[in-house]
Amino acid sequence: MSWLRDIDRWFIAQVLPHAAAYRARAAYFCGAEEAEDLVQEAYARVLKTPDYRTISTPRAFVLTIVHHLALERLRRARVVRIEALACLDALDMPDPSPDAFAVAAGRSELQHWLVMIDSLPPQCARVMRMRKVQGLSPAAIAEELSISISTVEKHIAKGLALITIGRREHEARLEEACRPESRPRNITRN
Amino acid sequence: MSTRVTPPQYHAQLTGTAADWLSRLDAGTADVVAFEAWRDADARHAAAFAEVAATWRDLDGLRLMPTDAPMIDPALGTMPRRQILRAAMGAAVAAALGGGFAYRAYARDHAVTGVGEHLAVSPAPGLSIDLNTDSRISWRMSAPQQLCLEQGEIAIASKGGCELAVNGESFRLAAGHYNARLRGDSCELAVFSGGISNGAGLHLVAGEMALMAGARVTLRTSDKAELGRVTAWRHDTLVLNGESLDYALGEINRYLKDKIVIGDPALARIRLGGTFGTRNPAEFLQALQDSFGVRATTGANGGIILTRG
Repeated sequence: MSWLRDIDRWFIAQVLPHAAAYRARAAYFCGAEEAEDLVQEAYARVLKTPDYRTISTPRAFVLTIVHHLALERLRRARVVRIEALACLDALDMPDPSPDAFAVAAGRSELQHWLVMIDSLPPQCARVMRMRKVQGLSPAAIAEELSISISTVEKHIAKGLALITIGRREHEARLEEACRPESRPRNITRN
Repeated sequence: MSTRVTPPQYHAQLTGTAADWLSRLDAGTADVVAFEAWRDADARHAAAFAEVAATWRDLDGLRLMPTDAPMIDPALGTMPRRQILRAAMGAAVAAALGGGFAYRAYARDHAVTGVGEHLAVSPAPGLSIDLNTDSRISWRMSAPQQLCLEQGEIAIASKGGCELAVNGESFRLAAGHYNARLRGDSCELAVFSGGISNGAGLHLVAGEMALMAGARVTLRTSDKAELGRVTAWRHDTLVLNGESLDYALGEINRYLKDKIVIGDPALARIRLGGTFGTRNPAEFLQALQDSFGVRATTGANGGIILTRG
């Protein structure tokens, strides 16, 4: 995909795979309804980082940004969730099993994609299958289905948007299922 | 950047806009300068685009999955070899189990599909056949390049040429891509690439279709769109372009165990256009209801009767 910049490739490879963890962290502070917005703002900050290559652990970096953004919002908010207040400064809250989500996702993801495609409106699903499963070009799809290329584009755009949004929701559910206890870690000293 | 809480609709819209850009870039119709200006205008745009691009890339993994309807695309060459092998192995397994839609006989091999089924087989290296619903082909085990279409419809992709027998007539197919369909006593042949000849002086080239009824041959040259309609079945679709409901039902019923029939003769004159899935008639019936107020009722035997609503 030549339309991606280096930073986009890095972002896709290093940052996005942990999306569910960021959303879970954001939801922990700000509630599920505001989580997506917080994560998107964190993404925007990451994509404005000029020396992104020097970030050694992108996942922890983004989680920290999410945390700081959450604090900013909470400080400005007039009404603050009590559980959020309780851990306002707990920057070292546990980062649950970094790979649990990735492992679960890898196993079932392809099947899940197909289910998501099939749940699209019929013509949209057909075009997505022809493009991504059978690998036909948009022009070939237009010919096969006797529709214009711009109609093919519209179906692809709609399908891609719905799948991207559905994926976020699916990942959030998976992360929830994979997440161990979300209480602050018990520290024991011997 | 404002940290004001934006409604979730804002993100849905942004994702939609990013997906619009990606689909246009993918089709090669995007104004790249305008796209870059949009992306550079706000880091949130860049994030939304990266996210849909990641989904787009991950969907490519589906190309490696076996599908239940493998295809041979005339435009792109043959289907992945792995899929052909898988389909052929599927047929062999069905043969070993003594059931299903393909089995071995002593001197000839067959591949058979039931109503609504779709199967790809490879009788010989470089020869792959896609069988449409309710179809049957056979070939001599000692000469797998000599195919006989006994029933239904097939798409043929041949790298080294083959022979096709239909209704007792034999045709020589050069390396290329073809579609052959039996309609009662007549046979329709379409050439996507390559050429077809027989001993009686017939010679079809790429882009031509021929309807053969006994000794009578009707030839016509088809444009790409029409050839595309001929092979739409390989994507489980039916493309209609102003045909009568009568004709449309004839086509869609090929795929249905419970047939759709017209309960009111006046409906037969309705003309239809559009693309419909052949695996599930619900979409087709819904379109009839929405556009023409035609009501579908399921009869006691499972068949579907169309009446004016």
